[in-house]
Amino acid sequence: MSEELPYGWLQFARNRFKRQQKPRGEKRKTPVWSWVWYILGVLYFVLPLLATFEFSLRMKRGVYSLAAYKAAFADPAFLQAFGYSLTLAAITIIVSIILVVPTAYWIRLKLPQARRPVELITLLPFVIPAIILVFGLIRIYSSPIRLPFSSVVLIDALTTSRYGTIILIVAGYMVLGLPYMYRSVDTGMRTVDVRTLTEAAQSLGANWFNIMVRVILPNIRTALLSGALLTFAIVVGEVVLASYLGVPAFGPYLFLLGQHRAFEPAALTFITFLLTWAAMGIIQLVSGGQGQVSGAH
Amino acid sequence: MHTKKLIFNLVTLLVIATFVLSACGPKKGAAPSSNDPLVKAAQAEGTLTTIALPHDWCNYGEAIDTFKTKYGLEVNELNPDGGSGDEVEAIKANKDNKGPQAPDVIDVGFAFGPSSKAENLLMPYKVSTWDTIPATVKDADGYWYGDYYGVMAFLVNTDVQSKVPQDWNDLLDPAYKGQVALSGDPRVSNQAIQAVFASGLANGGTLDNSQPGLDFFAKVQQAGNLIPLIANNGLVAKGETPVRITWDYNGLAAIDSFAGNPAATVVIPKTGRFAGVYVQAISAYAPHPNAAKLWMEFLYSDEGQIIWMKGYCHPIRESDLRARNVVPADVAAKIPDVSGAVFPTLDQLNTAKSLITGSWDSVVGADIKKAP
Amino acid sequence: MAQTTLPASQVKRPVFSGLGKWVGVLPFFLFAILFLILPSMRLFVGSFTDDHGQFTLNNVIQIFTQSSILRAYVLSIEISAVTALGGGIIGFLLAYSVTVGGLPKPLRSILVTFSGVASNFAGVPLAFAFIATLGRTGFISVLFKNLFHWNIYDHGFNLYGFVGLSLTYMYFQFPLMVLIMAPALDGLKREWREAAENLGANNMQYWLRVAMPILLPSLLGSIILLFGNAFGAYATAYALTGGALPIITIQIGAQIRGDVLHNPGLGYAMAMGMVFIMTISLAGYSWLQGRTERWLR
Repeated sequence: MSEELPYGWLQFARNRFKRQQKPRGEKRKTPVWSWVWYILGVLYFVLPLLATFEFSLRMKRGVYSLAAYKAAFADPAFLQAFGYSLTLAAITIIVSIILVVPTAYWIRLKLPQARRPVELITLLPFVIPAIILVFGLIRIYSSPIRLPFSSVVLIDALTTSRYGTIILIVAGYMVLGLPYMYRSVDTGMRTVDVRTLTEAAQSLGANWFNIMVRVILPNIRTALLSGALLTFAIVVGEVVLASYLGVPAFGPYLFLLGQHRAFEPAALTFITFLLTWAAMGIIQLVSGGQGQVSGAH
Repeated sequence: MHTKKLIFNLVTLLVIATFVLSACGPKKGAAPSSNDPLVKAAQAEGTLTTIALPHDWCNYGEAIDTFKTKYGLEVNELNPDGGSGDEVEAIKANKDNKGPQAPDVIDVGFAFGPSSKAENLLMPYKVSTWDTIPATVKDADGYWYGDYYGVMAFLVNTDVQSKVPQDWNDLLDPAYKGQVALSGDPRVSNQAIQAVFASGLANGGTLDNSQPGLDFFAKVQQAGNLIPLIANNGLVAKGETPVRITWDYNGLAAIDSFAGNPAATVVIPKTGRFAGVYVQAISAYAPHPNAAKLWMEFLYSDEGQIIWMKGYCHPIRESDLRARNVVPADVAAKIPDVSGAVFPTLDQLNTAKSLITGSWDSVVGADIKKAP
Repeated sequence: MAQTTLPASQVKRPVFSGLGKWVGVLPFFLFAILFLILPSMRLFVGSFTDDHGQFTLNNVIQIFTQSSILRAYVLSIEISAVTALGGGIIGFLLAYSVTVGGLPKPLRSILVTFSGVASNFAGVPLAFAFIATLGRTGFISVLFKNLFHWNIYDHGFNLYGFVGLSLTYMYFQFPLMVLIMAPALDGLKREWREAAENLGANNMQYWLRVAMPILLPSLLGSIILLFGNAFGAYATAYALTGGALPIITIQIGAQIRGDVLHNPGLGYAMAMGMVFIMTISLAGYSWLQGRTERWLR
């Protein structure tokens, strides 16, 4: 009898538990484990940011102050580097839009067969990490590209001049942002059904330019903003292309700062986080969607 | 829906405004005009490309800024944390490249001067103050010339490590476990090579025999005290490399920049003052040779030399400056006393360099790499 | 019979037809060729040439035989595998908690926004943030020292080693997992759960027999993607360890700067090895994604 008792007790407990397993009504049990995972996850997210913020406040001995932030912003090199990166980001975004929007539009409307190869190409940047991309770019463009078997120069050596280097890095940034820009624009066009829009506009007598600028672009605004913000985040944080191509962008600046100072880099890191959060938050708000997926660099 | 549209428009406006504002950077002042043909030629080139010049090394920050404002040139700074070996590699790698990746001028350890000359990487140039540079630290043909020197020391972050080492052998103390770091990769960096060389003097080595230095660092590595990171001031401040082996001027400049947080101190090892000389040179493949020459004239002018003094370095023309009483009193007061320092000769340096760079891997085996 | 159609000669052919249609995507392809395909080709071809430009298989052989290179690949694979699995598990649990796990809706959008931010937060800022957290004087280190009198560095922990780098990588790995798995978990229809319960399955059985098999392709695919993500990361590793951990991306970086190997062909071969591994990982992900769509459309 006594040996059966534990087993019996187990049965009894399991039956009671089973009854609670099948919620006939709306009785929801508290998802304890879900809360546990969530809180742990949030902690992992938040701790490094908290630590960075706390560290950035410690510049003045023994007291919390914003001295690190003041010092970081007071450095003229910071404004130069950040401004430079912003300008590069602007150029990259504009050229990307000019390249991607007509292409996506054309594919949707006229050339569905090109979809597969184009999508494959937009996946390539995932396969070719930035370090390899810059390697290839430098090797190819450090000497002029000639027509085979002739001395006709098609493209001059890009790495040897300031403007050439800028072309290279903008192209590099465009490549890095291509998957997100293309996917964004393509999804946006799918949502607004460009075919119908085009036909409607054509029936009202619009020419191609008007269709593109006054009908299509405004309707994919959200997608463009998403793509633009992601490209912005990528460009501003980018370090690899900028340092190997010798461009005075924000990424190398931040890296260098970390070599010599302790508190200002922490301050700038925190600001970078806030900026990224603002960009992502805006994307979320405006697209009301899943949030864009980006990879590591 | 309306709020969404409003937010969208506001954001777009903000984004555009940011870009527009960023594009309008600080306006560069008009380049000061000059009648000097060298200055004119340099201004025509417009840029100087330097390499491996951290701003807090011998006050290069002020030197570069002064140079920029004085002559209206841009300075393109490459790889500020490179070692002497990296600088030489950069010249070699960019022989055919006249772009912004090719350095015009280099500032390397004493032994790297003749070795670069032997590899035909340098262009000769004798500055106007050539004669006041001591003969023992310059190349007779003008390919390279000494610029400044200091002595090897320890920079200690006393907030993290209150026990301050007084001499080389103190570094073997278990209290410094995982806390000691060199300031470069001993296979490439002059500073690190000299550190190894200097440590030998405290362990039975002489200026002609640097092997004991290698053996000493093998011991430090085995004791677990050596961190495989290249120490820099940022790391010392963060407490990651509390004991940094570096030149005294770097340590003193670091203390200035820390401004008390963290507290730090510079100690010159009791064994003795070990001096290290650096030399300047112009790349034979310099894309901007005139800017390079102008830079040299600037550095070797009284103004340039005193800027280095402010960075706690002893400029190579120091005796000449002092003889003519042109050193400001406050600068003269702050510069550390390095009397009695031992100066290895070029031959001794060459022997030590080949031994240390060649045997580091096999004897010590620590892979020293750059850090954040 | 009256002519109701125009004779062939008078039919106006649309301007872009047949092969001409591809003109529209020409700029895109030109861009891709110039800045994506050509550099990759250069690296590919270069890996088979030696110092004098002759064809050779030596470089390829060397990457399989030279111990330092093999070690670099193995180390990269190890770190990528560990962070892919770790990030995958944590990310899955987090995604679970906000979807099936029954946490309130707002928590989900917070998580998704943060995931978007964190997955973009890689590179130099992330390295600095982790130094501020787990460095010698970092937040956690100091906390442990003060609260538990336990110096983690004395116990062999090293932020600049394998463990430290892995912890840092996880910061962008598990958000990526969350972003991918949350929609996938959404696809688990309630009807399936109810059907399973009606047939008498308990929680464990539902998960083992119904949910997991459906989710498996998505899970595996995401983990493979995470693997590729970590494998190609460079800036984070460099900013944190500076090369103290000789993973393959850092070796390639050293090769570009020319201060490690004097055999460029070898560098190209190393890069191609990386691209190969990344391609496999991306192909694996794509294939598994395709299988996922079957159930979770």
